[in-house]
Amino acid sequence: MTTPVSGDVPVLQTASSLTVLTLSTYQSLQALPFGGGSTSLGPLRDLIAAALDELARARTDLADATRAAGGRVQQAPNPRYAPVVAQALPTVRGPGDVVGLALTLEDVLAQTLVRDVVDLAAPSVRRTVTGHAAAAARRKALLLTLQALLSSGGAALVAVPPDLGALPPGVGTVGFPDVLFPTEKASPSTEGAV
Amino acid sequence: MAGLPRRGFLLGLGALAGAAAVAACSNEAPAGPPAPGGPPAGTTTPTTTTAAPTYTGEAALVALGAALSALAGDLLGQAAAGAGQGRYGAVPGVVTAYLSGSAAQHVAHADAWNRVLTAAGQPAVDGSPLSIEPALRARLGAALAPVDLLGLAADVTGTVAATVTAMTDRLTGPSALSLAAGVAPVAAMHGATAGFLLGRPPTAPADPTAGALGPDALTV
Repeated sequence: MTTPVSGDVPVLQTASSLTVLTLSTYQSLQALPFGGGSTSLGPLRDLIAAALDELARARTDLADATRAAGGRVQQAPNPRYAPVVAQALPTVRGPGDVVGLALTLEDVLAQTLVRDVVDLAAPSVRRTVTGHAAAAARRKALLLTLQALLSSGGAALVAVPPDLGALPPGVGTVGFPDVLFPTEKASPSTEGAV
Repeated sequence: MAGLPRRGFLLGLGALAGAAAVAACSNEAPAGPPAPGGPPAGTTTPTTTTAAPTYTGEAALVALGAALSALAGDLLGQAAAGAGQGRYGAVPGVVTAYLSGSAAQHVAHADAWNRVLTAAGQPAVDGSPLSIEPALRARLGAALAPVDLLGLAADVTGTVAATVTAMTDRLTGPSALSLAAGVAPVAAMHGATAGFLLGRPPTAPADPTAGALGPDALTV
């Protein structure tokens, strides 16, 4: 999968730490009645389920790349954001809070992976990480869209398929606010190093 | 291929992002409607060039990015313009806004790819000289309803995301690689939004490079 490049190890470990944290946070959110339970909104429930699958693949790919580069796999959650999540989870009271917390983590994860594409030396790993950055960006777009719907019209607008005639026009663009994906929130490459 | 000095390139991208973000937040199409008597949306004659340049190596990848972004921008812009003219029946405002906003960003991406080319002494790509262009224009020409436009948008933006993702293991110039890293996720966000509006599942493709085009898709 990868050409071993030892300098890539801390980059991959930090990306792993964010992936582990985001994955475990989605698992916690899925366990909530309004996250993945009986009272959850269909699109949000589906998004959480998809995120769990995609992040599990990302964790595996990043671990494989870390080993191939000669490093130890980072299996712990990101040390900077784990306390933030621990503080936020007990305050989650409804779908808007679920979306808000997931969005915070997805944005940091996606921005970090985008920055990593430029920093990584192993070409095949760059390609793999770009794919996971795109997946995180997809989830960010959907979370931004759900956030806009929940704040503008409440749960009635969150449906599959959506009632296009009822959606505010701004919902059509809220999912892609930047021409180029930003990186100013990217975690430093040593933040999650083992 | 020589690249731009990185700092200057990123500053340029910053200005680009600001300008195009304004366009993306507007509900107006990036291009005005066709002139009276002009061809209908989706039937635009593919751009032809004289003494077309030939791109090789990394320049071919960058040219592919430019051509594909230009094609996506033009198709979605034409769709938005046609929707504004009532060509597809009653098109909800959210669909028109999506088409206009995503088109503007693809146009901005094409400009950025071309800047990488010209900074390296290569000619900019003129139009969207791609083997897939005729079929996609025909598909737009056959569209009848908003769902057809969204389906086309989902497929085209998926192709952009896959193609740009696939090229990141071959790009070496910092300008081109930075641009690819910034473009692929945004194209994926376009695809996610189109999928949401269509009521499709939120799942990302298991293979993010499935359906990617290679430089052989260029017709110059």
